[in-house]
Amino acid sequence: MRDLFRQKGVTMKVQESKFIREKKPLLSELLARLLDCYPYASILAVDSRSKVYAVSKRNMSAGESSLGTARGFVAKVSDGKHYAEYSFNKISKEEIDLIVEKIGKLAQSSTLLLPTGMEESEYLIPEEERTVFTGSTDYEIDPQAMGDEAILEHLRGIKEKGLAFDDRILDCRVRCEYQIYSKLFLSREKDMEQNVMWMTGVTAFAAARGEEIKDYYMSYSNLGGAEVLSRMEADVEKGAGITLELLDSEPMVPGEYDCICAPDVTGMIVHEAFGHGVEMDMFVKKRALAQKYVGEYVASSLVTMHDGASAASETATYFFDDEGTMAHDTVVIDKGILKQGISDLQSALILGTEPTGNGRRESYRRKAYTRMTNTYFEGGKDTVEDMIASVDYGFLLENPSSGMEDPKNWGIQCMVNIAREIRDGKLTGKIFSPIVLTGYVPDLLKSISMMSADAELNGGGMCGKGYKEWVKVSDGGPYIKARIRLG
Amino acid sequence: MIGQIKTALEQSGIEEYRITESVQESLECFFIRKRLDQKRRTDLTDYSVTVFRPFEKDGQKMLGSSTVNIHPGMEEKEMTDALQDAYGAAALVCNPYYELTKGKKEEMVPAEGRFAGRSLEESTRQMLEALYAADNRKGVFINSAEIFARRVVCHIVNSQGVDVSYETYLVSGEYVVQCTEPQDVETYHRFAYRDAQTEQLRRQVEEALSMTQARAKAVKAPKAGEYSIILSGEQVREVLSYYLGRSQTGMVYQKYSNYEVGAPVQGQEIQGDAITIELKAKEPYSGEGIPMKDRILMEKGTLKTLHGGSRFAYYLGIEPTGDYRCISVPEGSRTLEEMKSEPYLHIVSFSDFQMDDFSGYFGGEIRLAFWYDGETVTPVTGGSVNGSILEVQGRMTFSRERYQDENYDGPYAVRIEGVKVAGE
Repeated sequence: MRDLFRQKGVTMKVQESKFIREKKPLLSELLARLLDCYPYASILAVDSRSKVYAVSKRNMSAGESSLGTARGFVAKVSDGKHYAEYSFNKISKEEIDLIVEKIGKLAQSSTLLLPTGMEESEYLIPEEERTVFTGSTDYEIDPQAMGDEAILEHLRGIKEKGLAFDDRILDCRVRCEYQIYSKLFLSREKDMEQNVMWMTGVTAFAAARGEEIKDYYMSYSNLGGAEVLSRMEADVEKGAGITLELLDSEPMVPGEYDCICAPDVTGMIVHEAFGHGVEMDMFVKKRALAQKYVGEYVASSLVTMHDGASAASETATYFFDDEGTMAHDTVVIDKGILKQGISDLQSALILGTEPTGNGRRESYRRKAYTRMTNTYFEGGKDTVEDMIASVDYGFLLENPSSGMEDPKNWGIQCMVNIAREIRDGKLTGKIFSPIVLTGYVPDLLKSISMMSADAELNGGGMCGKGYKEWVKVSDGGPYIKARIRLG
Repeated sequence: MIGQIKTALEQSGIEEYRITESVQESLECFFIRKRLDQKRRTDLTDYSVTVFRPFEKDGQKMLGSSTVNIHPGMEEKEMTDALQDAYGAAALVCNPYYELTKGKKEEMVPAEGRFAGRSLEESTRQMLEALYAADNRKGVFINSAEIFARRVVCHIVNSQGVDVSYETYLVSGEYVVQCTEPQDVETYHRFAYRDAQTEQLRRQVEEALSMTQARAKAVKAPKAGEYSIILSGEQVREVLSYYLGRSQTGMVYQKYSNYEVGAPVQGQEIQGDAITIELKAKEPYSGEGIPMKDRILMEKGTLKTLHGGSRFAYYLGIEPTGDYRCISVPEGSRTLEEMKSEPYLHIVSFSDFQMDDFSGYFGGEIRLAFWYDGETVTPVTGGSVNGSILEVQGRMTFSRERYQDENYDGPYAVRIEGVKVAGE
């Protein structure tokens, strides 16, 4: 599967962070001080820079993203039973005493915090193997070397092409973003460094139908640099054309239908409907129904699902997670049978399982949770043409906009922009929009009866845990045929 | 640090700028059932600098801008390089000229309320007591919770004399309620308070526990069809957020919205309640340093204000107001009991109810609703709502009962006629 997503023409490696290199001796000193006081201590240092460019008919911007740009540290300690974390962004030799003191105060603060009758959970400390690692991802075109002017000019060209397509195109908003990040993880046994770059782009079209604005977007991503930009230009006319088609769209007639999901919709189903349900911090809280179904059929035997930072080359690819666990390629569902979940380190400690390299933080400022990375269904053997031809009456679903997880009850909510009507095995040209997909996850996954050969991933989006903790993810898969309730 | 940044700006020949300093400390606690799973503390100082660059293009006066983050401890050269890089980018950002916010040095505005001046530990403990006060029922309980106590001091300085600062305290969090019988289900809830409203949090948890018990009894989805729906709590704010979004100066200038002051934005024929919305200032200053005050957004269905920052306001030739998220709405015309006197589908919990400012469509998957057919009330779950505010805005009636959360103070419920529901 990995070969499917391998980048071509790799030429350069992302460079290490000068900031992290310079701070490492101080961080090592802080770690040593903490290990004098605690049986477990670790430090994660992060230096990330993200720049966002946007061009539309009446607006332009170019600047750093506040979410993606960060420079700071998180120290985690355990006294053998209880964990405490301290996030900070200032360190000097003189400040080490103060940092150690603050961590000590925090570690002992539970009695001050907890109302009567509440206690603190007890955890083991992780057993660590000696690991020294340095890794960098590859890129072809460095967006920093390409420069602001060339990037903005490229986006402007796409915008002009989109606006010129038809007078009814109200706007063509073009945006791209890159992030270059370096992370250093230090603990008693680990000394790990990684340097990663990803870049994404989106072209969004808008057209007016009276007061109602219809919009459509096309998303692009890669683990790498500005090479992603070249793919955006080729699709402009297609995107503008679909936006105009949406002007004639009708509201969906609620009902259960045979549906063909395009890879972007498959990705949303994989991610929202099933992926969140196998995040094992939910197992610890007994919030995930999936925990009871390990070893059982939860999907059609056509379905094999992966998640992992090393499962594909996309925007959620890294070498080790924010807790110092090496990246995995986890087979979550194998031919319809739920094999295992994905896990952060702390959840694995309490569940007695192996961590899978899914402990991720929004930034050094935030707690680590179990989070998805690159999540997808493997491809099948069918052709898209055969799949459409097999539908008497149903829809081809495209262009998802959002989704929400429900790990406890395996409910599905996915919002999709386009449902193309299929009648007697042929697309009629009629479009319905917008659509809400709902249902019960195993019902939907077990109803999958056809899958196209090629799986496609897209890492244009972000994933939240509930309504916060945003991390970069990719998801996808092949075209799938399933029975789905639409509203 | 602000002094160092100003020096670097001066040395780089950058005359127009805005510097925002944010000093934040937080205490964060994570619980599984009633056990503290992890505790965290943060001490963070951030600097965001936006540089502005006037230039001319094709005879038109322009003002480009670019924002860069300056990290504590950055060396002088690195800081200067970052600012010059941003200044270079600003020269490429071809936005028409506008005037930056003008101002003067003002006294820091301290936080008000009962969190102010207290330690984060004290505030956390007090709100934890409130959070768990009602968690004493059999079979339904708080499965897990997260609580964040924050103190932030924000300082905004710009090249046009603005020098303002203010302090805020916020205790926010989320919790999941689980009910194990007759079905094992859960519901998700959020809270955020700038004052120690312990009784309100306790009451919210009481309601969440009752709602989750009701969800445990719901087994069927409603039948597909057209319903008179009742939305309540945070969903009412979400419906009304359409008007908040459409009246932003950025939406209007970019022609995504046709709103103009004096326009009957709720439509020409209002058979239900004519909507009045007040914009509430939550902070003393906007992110640009514009003094914020409460303003009437719309009155009885007619738009009174377009709101937004200095740039788009300048283009539209109106007063910049700053950005608003919080709204207040007067009580509606009917009691909840009157609303429920005819058949209804009262959806009390969605997976994720959404309103699209662009299209006006709203919808979401139903996690719990009560279906009243004129005789009996049945809890239902599953299916979805999919409607357009443009089609129903004239037929919405609001409750006299009120509801309050971080960004809303207004009617507890809205009844909307003729909404499509997907179900069995």
